[in-house]
Order: sequence, then C-alpha cells, then structure tokens
Amino acid sequence: MIVGKARSVALVGLEGTVIEIEAAIGGGLPRTVLVGLPDTSLNEARERCKAAVASTGLEWPKQLVTVNLTPATLPKTGSHYDLGITAAVLAAGGQVHIDLLEDTVLLGELGLDGRVRRCRGVLPALLAAVKSGYTRAVVAADQVSEARLVEGLTIWGVSTLAELVEVLKGNPVLDRLMPEPTPEAKREGPDLRDVVGHAEARWVLEVAAAGRHHLFLHGAPGVGKTMLAERLPSILPDLTPSQALEVTAIHSLVGANVAQGLIRRPPFAAPHHTASLVSLVGGGPKASQPGSFSLSHLGVLFLDEATEFPPSLIEALRTPLEAGSIHIGRSGAQVRYPARFQLILSSNPCPCGCYGVASRQCTCRPDVVRRYQSRISGPVLDRIDLHHHVRPLTKSLLKGQPQGEPSADVAARVAEARERQARRLAGTRWCTNGEVSGPWLRRQLPLPDGLGVVDDAVKQGRLSARGVDKVLRLSWTLADLAGVDLPTASHVRTALAMRRGEELGAVA
Amino acid sequence: MDQRRTTGAQGEQIAVAHLEGLGWTVVDRNWRSGRLGELDVVALQPGPGRLGTLVFCEVKTRRGLGYGDPLEAITYKKLGRLQALAGQWLAAHELRCDRIRIDAIGILLTTGATPVINHLQGVTS
Repeated sequence: MIVGKARSVALVGLEGTVIEIEAAIGGGLPRTVLVGLPDTSLNEARERCKAAVASTGLEWPKQLVTVNLTPATLPKTGSHYDLGITAAVLAAGGQVHIDLLEDTVLLGELGLDGRVRRCRGVLPALLAAVKSGYTRAVVAADQVSEARLVEGLTIWGVSTLAELVEVLKGNPVLDRLMPEPTPEAKREGPDLRDVVGHAEARWVLEVAAAGRHHLFLHGAPGVGKTMLAERLPSILPDLTPSQALEVTAIHSLVGANVAQGLIRRPPFAAPHHTASLVSLVGGGPKASQPGSFSLSHLGVLFLDEATEFPPSLIEALRTPLEAGSIHIGRSGAQVRYPARFQLILSSNPCPCGCYGVASRQCTCRPDVVRRYQSRISGPVLDRIDLHHHVRPLTKSLLKGQPQGEPSADVAARVAEARERQARRLAGTRWCTNGEVSGPWLRRQLPLPDGLGVVDDAVKQGRLSARGVDKVLRLSWTLADLAGVDLPTASHVRTALAMRRGEELGAVA
Repeated sequence: MDQRRTTGAQGEQIAVAHLEGLGWTVVDRNWRSGRLGELDVVALQPGPGRLGTLVFCEVKTRRGLGYGDPLEAITYKKLGRLQALAGQWLAAHELRCDRIRIDAIGILLTTGATPVINHLQGVTS
C-alpha cells in the first residue's frame, strides 16, 4: 500500500498543533474515507478536493483512498486542510514528490475549480508550525504577506492547485511582488483635534490613557461621550512588536485581513448592547472564535450605553478584568483567549437622559432613576478608577472656538508617562498604574505627601479603603504625566477630585 | 435499454476473456436467484490449496467517465447482496473449493481504443 504524507495545523483557540495527514491508496472499491475526528466542514473537504483535482487535470485515485489526520484524538475543524489532503493523496498516487512535503506546512481551502482560497488563522497556525520546527509553508497567494509576519519560514503562495503541484515538483512559482508592509504604524480613526471645548474631559481621557485606567463617562445624551471614547485609541502608544504579533494573531482568527502587516495600533471594539454573550466572550464551534473582549485585547473596549447592557453581559466583564484572559470550555476544547483591554463605559444618568442636567426636566420616577444607576454591579465598578461627568458645552459650537489639540501631541505626553511607569514597575508583572494592586501600591512605593486630605475623606466616610487605592493610582499617573518622581500634594488633591465622579455616580 | 444490455454483455465477455487469460476456469455466468439479483461471473482460481479459490465477480462496464469510474457504481450495499448471492450459489451447486472471494472488475469501453480493465480482488473484507 502506498502512503503519502503532508502536514497542516489544527487550531484550538490560538494554540496550534501540527497535524500529519496520511493518505493510503488501495484495498477496496473506489471511495474516499476521512478519519481522525473531522467535523462536518472538514468531511466536506473530500468533495472539494476531488473536484479541484479533476478540474486541474490530475487524477484522483480510482481506489479506496483512506485519509487519516493524526493525532487522531484531537478534534479537527475547518476547511484549511484541503491543500494538505490533496497533496497527501497526490503524493500517494505518485503525482508529486514526497520529499518536499517532509517539512512543509500547507494551509488553504480549495475551490471546485482548483483555486486556492484564503483561510482563517494563518498567523497563529504558522507560529505554531515554527515552534514545532517546520521551515516551509504553503499558503493562499493573497495571504503571503500575512504569512511573512512569521519569522523563520520560507513561504510559498499558490493561487491554484496547479501551482501547488509545481511547487511540490520542485519548480516554485514566480514570486509575486507583494507590497512591502508599511513600516510606520499609521494613526487612523478619529482624532482629538475634532473635539471642541471639553477641556476637562480631554484631560481625563489623557490621564486614563497614561495610566491605563478604566473609565466611566456619565452625561446627558448628546454631550459627546461617544465622541470622546472613540478617540482614546488615538492617544495610546503603539503596540510593542510582541504585543502586535499577539493582537494580529487574534484578529487573524476571525478572518480579518491582515495583509497590511502587523496591527500596531491598539484595537478598538464597541459592541452594541444587544450583543450576545458568545459574541463578547468568544465561542462558536469548538470555541474557535474570539469575542469582542479578546478582539480589544491590548486596546480599548467601549461599552456605549452601558446601563442598557443586560446584567449577564456586564458580569461577564469581571473575569477578563481580573485575569486579563478568558477561558472557554466546550466539549473537546479548552481554550484561553487573552483579553487585557482598557474598558470605557458610558451611560446616561437616567432613562430619559435629563436627570440632573441643568435646564432640562427629568420625567423619570425616582425609583426608576435609582435602579437605572445601579445596573452596573459593584464588582465591575470597583475596577474602574476614573469616573467623569461630561458636561454640556457652555458656548455655541458656531462661535469660533479654537481647534482642539491634535491626538499626536497628547499621545507624546502619554508615551512619556508610560515610560516612567515602565521604569518604576520594571520587575513586576505590571507595566501601567491602572493594573497595580493596592497593597503593592501602599507598601512598595513611597507614599506621596499631602495624604491628609485622603485621611480626612476616609474619616468623613467619603472614601472607602478601595477608594484610597484608586486615589493613589491616579496620583501616580498624574505625577507621571507631570514628569515628577513622586506625586505632590496637589496631585493627590486632583486625584481625589477626579474620584468625586464616582461618589456622585451618574448624578451630575 | 437494449444499448445498456449489449454494453453489459460486451463487458462481461471481455471480463471472461480476461479471467481465462489469467488461467482461471469460468464455472458459471449470469446466475440468477429470484429477485435478489445476478452473479455476473463465477470462476475458479487455481491455488492456494488443491481445490483452488472460487471467485464471484461483479462486472461493471461503462462507455465513458461522465458518470464516474465504473467501479464507483458498485456500492457497499450491492456488495452485501453479492455475498448473499454467493451463499445461495454455493448451496445450489456441488462444487468444492478451498476458499471463496468476491472480486470487482471495472471495464471502460471507449470506441477505437482497447478496453481498460480494472480488476480489484477481494473487495469485501
């Protein structure tokens, strides 16, 4: 019996395992059997591969073809095994050389006409292949630039099965000229320059960005909460190369086109409040899809109208906020997706949106207002250092107000503050003030001057023990922004004032 | 209908010639058992023992590949029926042998070219 072998990668979440595809010919009536725990989409690969082989002018063996995917106990899903299955069968039939398949990983879906189609998760799959010691990979031609993000691999892009056969015969197709990935991370999306007025809110946004503090924006409808939140990513620093690889791998899993190169800017996700739990947390067949929480990993997760989200979705925030990742368990799949995002919540003060707003009359009953404001649970609020009430503009937009400061200038200050934090927190598992634990903050760092105001606030019952930690964290961020080594009394006072937003809650 | 019969008969003729060319003895042809179906060719292959192997052959003939390879038309359900038929044939005949086996022979007839014979031995296992 002749056996052909090829290799591909099975992905469970971001974890890849190199799969050996064996094809044996002979031993019965013409039939193709796929064994090794394929799911439905993979079982259909037989028909695709057969048709693609026929339309390429090659021959599918007219005998019993047994295709085995090992390790046989790992459930396999997806359509990207097509190239590997076809190559193994062709190799068993002696139509391509077997030796070139030895250390090559093949990823791609076949069309009935023999075209090679792109597939999801090429980046994480190839990262796993490199880790397992493979040196060559074949991917769909339009995914070559994504595959090249992985170092240490020779990549061949093929657009048809015929080209794959040429490659496997040892005649690589002409290397198509690919546009080089732009070296500079471009700032796209809305810019802070467009924000007129809102001096206070801009400052809060800058502090949130500098210390990576979670932020809750309160305010009446139309004051600009969403506008501000959308601009937070524009003042965050670029992702480091390893962070960029991690973020790009996650986005590759949902089939995002990452042909432009690594994602170097912090991602932004703003799920609607009608989103399903799985779309936020992740899931799908064998938990193969990351959700919004993971898609905003190392970026910003913005929950607009947070009070409209069902409590179950808000509670789902607690584990990623605590652990920075999400474990999803399904039968036959235990998946961990990273989910270390910066959270921004925004909400109106009451259902009608007018409660506590000067010159507007709220029509909600007091108990309705109270219930509305308590919809975000304590454990989630605990993690939010910054609350800000966005005030309506006091001057008309039409009167020539000066343009706001552009995002790039603010980002420069934020980057400097982040550097100071990184230096101070070197050797710990944190790198920003927003993540540092309370005890460490109080015991390992020198205490700032002027904590008297904080003591007073505690004595008067205006500040809880946890509140003290938050004031300390904010003070450090303010000091970092100011470029000093220890928060001054004025930083502590400012931090305490910034905390007032929470005590006031949604009430203006 | 007629065309199909002649194609089938033609194919069986080629199969018989092929088997005799292998040195086998054709014992029976087109043996029917009620509604269960038909055994196309029964042949005796010499060896491995003194009495030889009795082989029940299913012959499938096609004039082109438009509907797939001839052998692809032999389903596993049909193989089950062949096994039952083989048992009935053995009960009806007094012939002794060392082993029995079921083979499939696919024949592709293309005008102007020599027929392509694909002989698979022991298709039930």
